[in-house]
Amino acid sequence: MAAPEAYTIAQVPLVAHSFSPDRSAIALSTNSNEASIYARDGYEWQPISTLAQHDKLVTSIDWAPTTDRIVTCAQDRNAYVWTKEADPSNPSQIVWKPTLVVLKINRAATQVRWSPLENKFAVASGARSICVCSFDEEMNWWASKQLKKPIRSTVLSIDWHPNNVLLAAGSADMKARVFSTFLKEIDKKPPANVWGDKFPWNTVCGEYNSPGGGWVHAVGFSPSGDALAFAGHDSTITIVYPAAPAVITLKGTNLPYLTLTWTAEDALVAAGHDCQPVLFSGIPAGWKAICSLDDANGPRSSSFASSASTPRSATGPGGGGGPPVGRLNNAAFNRFREADSRGTSSIPGTPSSPGGSGLFGGSPTSGVGGDKELLTIHQNTITSVRPYEWGPNGNVTKVSTTGVDGKLVLWPVSTSGGLAPKMMIR
Amino acid sequence: MAMDFRKINIDQYDEDKLLEEELYEPDPRDPETVLAEAKQKAAGVRGFISKGDIVGALSSILENAPYGPKVDDAKIITLQSLLLILNSTKPVDIPAIIKALPSDAHDTLMKYLYKAMAMPGYADVNSGALLTWHEKVRTYT
Repeated sequence: MAAPEAYTIAQVPLVAHSFSPDRSAIALSTNSNEASIYARDGYEWQPISTLAQHDKLVTSIDWAPTTDRIVTCAQDRNAYVWTKEADPSNPSQIVWKPTLVVLKINRAATQVRWSPLENKFAVASGARSICVCSFDEEMNWWASKQLKKPIRSTVLSIDWHPNNVLLAAGSADMKARVFSTFLKEIDKKPPANVWGDKFPWNTVCGEYNSPGGGWVHAVGFSPSGDALAFAGHDSTITIVYPAAPAVITLKGTNLPYLTLTWTAEDALVAAGHDCQPVLFSGIPAGWKAICSLDDANGPRSSSFASSASTPRSATGPGGGGGPPVGRLNNAAFNRFREADSRGTSSIPGTPSSPGGSGLFGGSPTSGVGGDKELLTIHQNTITSVRPYEWGPNGNVTKVSTTGVDGKLVLWPVSTSGGLAPKMMIR
Repeated sequence: MAMDFRKINIDQYDEDKLLEEELYEPDPRDPETVLAEAKQKAAGVRGFISKGDIVGALSSILENAPYGPKVDDAKIITLQSLLLILNSTKPVDIPAIIKALPSDAHDTLMKYLYKAMAMPGYADVNSGALLTWHEKVRTYT
């Protein structure tokens, strides 16, 4: 199994991320009112564009894979749809042109997602509503319609069903709901499925409680749409199969999950305050946690610091730009590199020198001991996990995570749907 | 003062504001029933303790614990019985007892531990015992 690829993109939290369709670029929110696009450059990510139009923190970004448009939403109660255009002054460059979407909400927007057919997008907001926006050809603008009842508090997360009409929403009123967002100008009547047969606008096809009473941070439909998973702040993950009918609750003993994504019809990856993604797998009869994708004892690729953000990155022999293989990719090498760049060591018997040694005396991390680092790759909460790569059978083979530590990590996920014991492959 | 308007809680005037009661399923039993049940359980607990059956005592007091508004008396009675149980248990036995309880009971027990910790001078609140129980429940789950 390949090792996870870790990149330190910024020294600030990465609130949201979304990859371009070919995965050569990533749009990120760097905890500010600008969204940035970074492009892959060898083993690093370089900033190439800035999407600066919002007045407040950009809370969510989604990059549509087929139509190549980006939608961003922010705490300034607005959303913008960005389309690519050639720069008039420099035709070989591309520029992203924003189009304002008037959402008519009086609180911050929390998450935005394109629908599967990319003709609509939904914006979850703190105004206790979800705005479903579609393009009105006649007026040449994005019109928004709000789903309000029976939401009683901020909507924290949303996920689309493959039929382009049903939308799952997790809210701070401790409930996960499935809504119909049927718009008669845009959608064709969807065929009956496990969630119901009639879907007029704002129908609630299902409402589920978080078992211990916690905000529902993340929701997700399975690839077929026949199951719904949601993660609550009470450290539980619940999977609902309306057809069975079955509601399976997994009570965790660890910190709550903030984000999840399905990797196969019977597997999902959840991540959050524990700073590591965990794989869960199961069937309507039962689910369980399989393993963490972050195996502290396995081979690790050395973290690559983006040169734009850390001017004094560790450029020891092969440390900054080499491929993550061989003798340079192990715990012993990392220890010596830590000792060199941070002036501290976790090697028994060696005196640590908090003042920094040699070349990197002025490093901003001098004084932080090696043992203050977490054993996981992410050093802080993971804010977002999204599918990165698919295998030949349609299952997700890699997921990407971004966290409050400013890192982007790509994790390989077992290709056989999660039921094959991942531990045996090491 | 001109600046005091900033301290007004405008959400209290919102017709559609979120009430705490909307966030959970209301207890189907009415307050008198809950109070009677709590008193009954308190009496039962004394019996369990005299027989030395701590697991039985805890299971009965933690099951269907009173919650919601209007049942504060029942909550106090339940807390007092629970404190009695916790104080009568030898520290050595605690891990085995916790293991024997269902996981829902662990959650309710934790809630009562925190409730008791918030009242340090109250009746038989023994902070040392509370901390021991807290640590054992935490390490078990």
